Amino acid sequence: MDTKSRARLIHLLISKSTAEALLIAAVAVSFYFATTNLNLRGVLDKADRQIVSGWAVDEGNPGARVEVQLYIDDRFVADAPADKYRPDLSEAKRAQDDWHGFHFQTPQLSPGDHEARVYAVHASGGGARRTLQLIGKPYRFRLE
Amino acid sequence: MDSENQILPGHGALAAWEIASVTSSVLIAEWILSAAAGAGKAVVAIPISLAFILMIGSHSLRGESLRDLGFRFDNVFHALKLLLLPMLIIAIASLLVGLALGAKPNFLRWHPERWLVAQIGLGFAWGFVQQYVLQSFVNRRAQVIWGPARMSIFLTGVTFSLLHLPNPSLMVVTLIGGVIWAAVYQRAPNLFALAISHSVMTWVLVSTLPVSALNHLRIGFKYFS
Repeated sequence: MDTKSRARLIHLLISKSTAEALLIAAVAVSFYFATTNLNLRGVLDKADRQIVSGWAVDEGNPGARVEVQLYIDDRFVADAPADKYRPDLSEAKRAQDDWHGFHFQTPQLSPGDHEARVYAVHASGGGARRTLQLIGKPYRFRLE
Repeated sequence: MDSENQILPGHGALAAWEIASVTSSVLIAEWILSAAAGAGKAVVAIPISLAFILMIGSHSLRGESLRDLGFRFDNVFHALKLLLLPMLIIAIASLLVGLALGAKPNFLRWHPERWLVAQIGLGFAWGFVQQYVLQSFVNRRAQVIWGPARMSIFLTGVTFSLLHLPNPSLMVVTLIGGVIWAAVYQRAPNLFALAISHSVMTWVLVSTLPVSALNHLRIGFKYFS
């Protein structure tokens, strides 16, 4: 194989790698936008021995009720729509109506430190794919 | 050595780069694009097409003829003769392993919605493509690095096995198959004989091993679906 052919082969390899890198970048960006709802807003307000509560609104579709899932200490606890009465949200112009709160009954937990996380469920790919988006921040609480 | 040659990688390094590039294209298709592309599955064809462009370009730049690559008929029977004994041993071993695991042999299990002859024909076509990539490209480039020897045969088998991640049973059988086919190709380079062997052995494995062991031959991200 002469030097010219080797140089051409190297150009071919570099071009192929560049094309693949661009393809992966494009797929990664489109995957992010397909699996993430950028209009989602919400807060996990409270978590204690009795209740985990907060609110979630899809500002892109403010009339819809967001499906949320509660995890405590990284374990799934419950799934529910955010459709509880929260008049403060419409007053603060966060939502068009008063029904975007969520309330979960806290399960039996051992004494000590715990962490609650609430995720909004985002469906994409015609419903074939469901991804979770964290609402607000994880909430740490302690049971005596 | 002229100044331009000094900055170019050596023949071995270039061949290794070629193998890595083609392998990475298949892994990208199997692991990244099939998982992330959603409904747009056609995007999986892009890295595969790029790999074929590279392979064809490489053959051309290296001056390799179709005959060199194994597109020939004069040595079909010689290659089949070399393949016969290992195929028989693997078929018997597969049957015994299947029976030991409680699987009842069923030679109509491989895509039962199709005629068996048609399925074996499709298996031949798919096996031909895989054997072309594996032998006419990976094996030949491995020989640029190590020559026709154990290391190039082993690298070909390992590459074939890695492309079947994360299916453990399939990785084992493709490692064994990849090594045998690579060894036969180095003695009698013929893609038609290898594709026949590929199709028949896939049929035998699917028919004799438990369905749960092969997980419907799924690989890459699809293995988990």
